[in-house]
Amino acid sequence: MLGKLLKYDLKYGSRFFILLHGILLAACILGRLLFFERLDFDAGSDIIAPYIILATSLYVLLFTAVSLGTAALLAVRFYRNLFTDEGYLSWTLPATPVEQLWAKLFSGTIWYILDILILALSLVILLSGSNLTAAYAKVAPEITEALGMPLGRYGTMLLVFTLLSSFSGTVTIYVCISIGQLFPSHRVLCAILTYFITSAVIQIVVLGLMVIFNLFPGPYINDAATETDTVQYLFTTLKLSGVINFVLTIVEYFATRYIFIRKLNLT
Amino acid sequence: MKPILECQGLTKKYGNIYALSNLSLTLERGQIVGLLGLNGSGKTTLIKLINGLITSTAGQVLINGMLPGADTKKLVSYLPERSYLNDHMKVEEILSYFSDFYENFNVVHARAMLSDLDIDTHARLRTLSKGTKEKVQLVLVMSRDAELFILDEPIGGVDPAARDYILQTILTNYNENATILLSTHLITDIENMLDRVLFIQKGQLVLNATVDEIRTAKRESVDSLFREVFKC
Repeated sequence: MLGKLLKYDLKYGSRFFILLHGILLAACILGRLLFFERLDFDAGSDIIAPYIILATSLYVLLFTAVSLGTAALLAVRFYRNLFTDEGYLSWTLPATPVEQLWAKLFSGTIWYILDILILALSLVILLSGSNLTAAYAKVAPEITEALGMPLGRYGTMLLVFTLLSSFSGTVTIYVCISIGQLFPSHRVLCAILTYFITSAVIQIVVLGLMVIFNLFPGPYINDAATETDTVQYLFTTLKLSGVINFVLTIVEYFATRYIFIRKLNLT
Repeated sequence: MKPILECQGLTKKYGNIYALSNLSLTLERGQIVGLLGLNGSGKTTLIKLINGLITSTAGQVLINGMLPGADTKKLVSYLPERSYLNDHMKVEEILSYFSDFYENFNVVHARAMLSDLDIDTHARLRTLSKGTKEKVQLVLVMSRDAELFILDEPIGGVDPAARDYILQTILTNYNENATILLSTHLITDIENMLDRVLFIQKGQLVLNATVDEIRTAKRESVDSLFREVFKC
């Protein structure tokens, strides 16, 4: 039953997902061919900097749009399929609430992982031109020293951290929507508010724990902005967030499971 | 053999309002039962509880002796009063969907009924009229070899010609050992096919009798008794 539910969940979002990520990859291929490969890095930095800032800004916008689009795909599928009129069919299928939940968790995590890998691929496409790699080779020692490790390793570590967070990201979206369903009206608004409140509380807890365990690189918060300390600070934060997220994911999973089993109330 | 449906002290509250209040009921197999009541009387709440779409405040529902769950959903074929199919799907895809999930779904039978109704199985649901969508849903629901059919307002939103077809479909697809629980307030249209009626008022069962009992003891039709009981 789980396999069947998963099949239809993945089938549902595939067109939107392919379209969204197809646009990203196409934009990156064009960006590399028409822009990055035509940049002369031997020209003065004051000449090429404005172009690079513009291209980076456009890429960040596209990157954010695709990430948000994927999160929206997960949220809309979950909400529509379980809590709107479609829920009248979904909840009368011969599947247990736990199977329904795991089907959504697996499909959501698969979409998230694919999203992260495609976003990483888009960066590789954009930045792997011979002129750019040659220019990078000149400054690689400095960057390696500043990061405390080669850029490739740094990027891989970030990628691994992001991939590990895909499951927890999915559970967070689902628990917020499920909590929203506990309210008698304005359920979508309540789900969105739950998401923002939960995120804010997590950030405050992470910050509080960093202060308590004295994890800041120096006596002042802005000490974190100095070269290798920045990387150290970043990974410390990521590790701490990872531990908190792990605990939180378990709590969120059981909260969603409880709502599915005990508090389902379709309007 | 256990009754197909048992409700024991079933209560559902929304805030301070009782949608159902301590409702107890037993339905045996092999009958067509009319669930009748005014709007807001608790019919749909009862149906949702049987299907596990909402949770009760107190009491319990048993289907073939089991609480609503994956096993009871194999036995119950439910037609809600709204469109529950994804509009982007083609009728053909919906047939595959039902075949995938319900072991007792008879796809050959469903195709034959769709063909009788001239419904193109390659059409997307969103391109069909409201009445045609309702017919598709009814075909899907009645093509299951279920033990309990629950039809919530199956003839409420369709024209009289379609209404006749729907009622005919229900009767011709009716397995003698199955029970049909049919909610409506269009009593005159369905009175002749009913074996039993349940009157529900303000969340409570006020009458549970066979149509014969009503006609013999009270010497009136179900429709006139309904009008008498629910007189405004």
